[in-house]
Amino acid sequence: MEFGFSEEQQKLMAEMRDFCINELPEDYDPEYTGRFQEAETQEFWKQFHQKGVQKGWPTAGWPKKYGGMGFSAMEQAAISSEMSYWGARWGGIMAMTLVAPTVLTSGTEEQREKWIPPIARGEITAFECFTEPDAGSDEANVQLRAVPDGDEYVLNGQKTFISGGTKPDWLYTLCKTADVTPKHRGLSIFMVPGDAPGVSYRPLPTMGGSQQNEIFYDNVRVPKENLLGELNRGFYLAMTTFEFERAAGGGLGARRSMEKIMEYARQEKRNGKPLYQDSKARDMLARMAIHKHLEFLFGWYTAWHRSQRERLGPQHYNSGTLWHRLWQTFDGEKMGQVFGMYTQLRQKSKYARYNGRPGRTWEYMHAIHAAGSPEIRRVVIADRGLGLPRIPRQFNVQINEALKQV
Amino acid sequence: MDFALSEDQEMLKTMARDFLEKECPEAVVRQIETDERGYSPELWRQIAELGWLGISIPEEYGGTGGDAVDLMVIHEEMGRALFPSPHLSTVVLCGHTILEAGSDEQKKELLPKIVNGELILAMALTEPESSWDGKAWDPEGVTVRAVPDGDDYIIDGIKLFVHDAHIADYLLCAARTRDDGPSEEGITLFLVDAKSPGISYELLDTLANRNKQCEVVFDKVKVPKQNIVGELNDGWAPLFKSVKTGAVLLCAQMVGAGQRIEELTVDYAKTRIQFDMPIGINQHVQEHCVQLVIRQDACRYATQYAAWALGQPGQDMEVAMAKAWCSEAFEHICWRAHQVFAGVGTMAVLHIMPLYTRRGIVMENYLGDTPFWLEKVALELEKLPPHMKTKGKPLGLWDPQRKQVPVWEIWREYAESL
Ligand SMILES: Cc1cc2nc3c(=O)[nH]c(=O)nc-3n(C[C@H](O)[C@H](O)[C@H](O)COP(=O)(O)OP(=O)(O)OC[C@H]3O[C@@H](n4cnc5c(N)ncnc54)[C@H](O)[C@@H]3O)c2cc1C
Ligand SMILES: Cc1cc2nc3c(=O)[nH]c(=O)nc-3n(C[C@H](O)[C@H](O)[C@H](O)COP(=O)(O)OP(=O)(O)OC[C@H]3O[C@@H](n4cnc5c(N)ncnc54)[C@H](O)[C@@H]3O)c2cc1C
Repeated sequence: MEFGFSEEQQKLMAEMRDFCINELPEDYDPEYTGRFQEAETQEFWKQFHQKGVQKGWPTAGWPKKYGGMGFSAMEQAAISSEMSYWGARWGGIMAMTLVAPTVLTSGTEEQREKWIPPIARGEITAFECFTEPDAGSDEANVQLRAVPDGDEYVLNGQKTFISGGTKPDWLYTLCKTADVTPKHRGLSIFMVPGDAPGVSYRPLPTMGGSQQNEIFYDNVRVPKENLLGELNRGFYLAMTTFEFERAAGGGLGARRSMEKIMEYARQEKRNGKPLYQDSKARDMLARMAIHKHLEFLFGWYTAWHRSQRERLGPQHYNSGTLWHRLWQTFDGEKMGQVFGMYTQLRQKSKYARYNGRPGRTWEYMHAIHAAGSPEIRRVVIADRGLGLPRIPRQFNVQINEALKQV
Repeated sequence: MDFALSEDQEMLKTMARDFLEKECPEAVVRQIETDERGYSPELWRQIAELGWLGISIPEEYGGTGGDAVDLMVIHEEMGRALFPSPHLSTVVLCGHTILEAGSDEQKKELLPKIVNGELILAMALTEPESSWDGKAWDPEGVTVRAVPDGDDYIIDGIKLFVHDAHIADYLLCAARTRDDGPSEEGITLFLVDAKSPGISYELLDTLANRNKQCEVVFDKVKVPKQNIVGELNDGWAPLFKSVKTGAVLLCAQMVGAGQRIEELTVDYAKTRIQFDMPIGINQHVQEHCVQLVIRQDACRYATQYAAWALGQPGQDMEVAMAKAWCSEAFEHICWRAHQVFAGVGTMAVLHIMPLYTRRGIVMENYLGDTPFWLEKVALELEKLPPHMKTKGKPLGLWDPQRKQVPVWEIWREYAESL
């Protein structure tokens, strides 16, 4: 048992730290990332990425053959944890975490040549287009159709709640390509140019100010080569993608937010004393710190487990993915109790405290549901992790019909 | 970063699990709970033979010189098996303190006997007033005084919630020997012969192990000066060091107990049939299981980290976090399990849950409860360095003139487009 970092990891983290200190703008506040969806900040991350490329960091976990450094899960986590401490990210992050793994594991050699180099350079932005009005948690219920027509596929349908800001280069689109039971065996993934004729966008701002998109596909034609992996295996590809997305490292970011809030709690006064001496604030701070320490441990446990796969076998559940979602609202509640009426004030008000952050915890509710709601994560833990029984899927339709009879 | 136990520790764990399953099944636990002594001398002898009493004591005193992680492994299994024994009192709270602060003679005299199982020791620290005022584990809470009298000291006062005092050979008593100056600089540790004239014991009627905690009344008890452990007035630091270790080991006991509770609960959810289906098919019941499991995982990681951190400098915050977290989480774990077991889980003689839940109340409060350790976390937070500053070219993000994410404009645009 060892919870310190190896010399190698420490060196990596120190380099990453210097890089972030020197490259990130001095007026950058990672606790307020809403700003960073704007076009010019996207441009900033692209440049940041390109500087990182010189060190090989953005693609450190990829195989050497494709321009990576073949880093282990632990080394990757060392990098990404330092990134999370600074709230930094690579440009074209969705392409990095979505498209690249799919192409690397299941693409053809031509697709690899086509996609991997520009993604590695951070030049490509992509949206993850899975969710539809009738396919939320039940991702397999995707209705957006892709129908073959000569050397092309024709796409018709709608996606919703899609993250990533504006003007993506590519849409990583999950489509229905066969009417089969079970439904998830009839899905495929296509790369659709963001500006393809027939694609249109409608912005959906969330209550927290981030921008989601509704995307409409109206007779959109894409060449057959844009099918990623095999036809009708798209759902499995999406699952692999999630696997890649789960790389740990959020934990050190958690430490940052404690440092930030303590800085504030020292400057701010209540009843003539530093805020941290107020008993309610003290309780909140200590509890927050514990939740964040545990977030750190859950994150590193995941990374460690990945690095030990051969010894340990697959991890059947990952309670870490549920962890911070469980406590986000709890900590928000506690913060609200400390800030009282000031919780209501946005950052722009001259009376705002702590940069308007206490209220943002509530407005940021949307983040809880991105990438799968906590309830679905519980279902996964109960089902795959603990082996608790559930009604076999094939009966769902019958049950729904029966419900209509009652 | 490595969450795995070493091979030796894995062996120790398996051995401990096997031993306790065989020698200390539920029936034995129940029997010991009704025994006046609250422990089994026979099992005590056996664990001495297994080396559990010397696991953290250096080789020169007959132990095997292991670390806090080794202790954690053993205590996890003891918690799982609900093993009633004065191990924590004797080896950790008293043994470690003697090792840390005692004279060479004291160490040579006492430690080998602890390792052999010949001696039982109990830590007499908490008092009636201090325990009520929330200062039980703080130096201000020590008000029982020891007054010099020739070659002796005279101790007078009451210690409360003293684990294992009634079966102890010696009490390690923290007494106030100076009133001026900071309160942690006026406490001295005395090794008191438990049979000294003037000492009396009364067992407390507690929820669990009702015969294990005592009121200890010191009525002008004479203790020779050479029985001072460590320096005069300097007893708090070494004692609190052992309390910290003990707190982490209580976390380990809760982790062990929680693990067993998790297994039993999930298994019950799968096998108990109501409404013609296993109850575990209902998401309400699943929710109990999942909330239990996620807290149990958190207890485990926090405890593992803390056990490791005990051997590292500057990690007091993480140690405090473990007990602050586990004390509350274990209560929650028991509650979730009770929800799944419903009626049968409340039946004192039919089910093991009442044993865990009651023992839980002891473990949560002993050696500092959640509020106590939260305060320690807060004290450490005060020392947190400020966040490092970035130095890159500013983007003018907070310039009021700058066009910002036009949230309301997007809304308006959207509304107009409908
Ligand atoms: C900020 C944000 C960003 C997003 N970004 C993207 C993106 O980039 N790309 C993308 O494709 N999608 C994205 N989404 C969509 C997101 O993945 C979905 O919102 C999410 O999967 C939940 O789907 P839903 O909102 O339709 O809820 P529903 O599926 O309708 O669920 C409603 C409620 O019922 C619960 N529920 C449903 N089924 C079950 C069940 N079997 N058992 C128990 N409970 C159940 C759910 O957990 C939830 O609590 C984003 C969403 C948000 C809020
Ligand atoms: C102190 C006490 C006094 C009692 N007195 C009496 C008495 O006088 N007379 C008498 O007849 N009985 C009595 N009972 C029995 C009591 O009514 C039952 O314990 C209670 O109905 C629950 O049944 P169970 O314990 O078998 O739990 P189970 O039915 O086995 O339930 C176990 C768990 O599964 C949950 N569960 C079961 N089915 C579902 C479902 N479909 N959806 C969601 N969750 C589900 C339950 O809520 C519970 O959390 C008493 C019980 C106690 C503890």
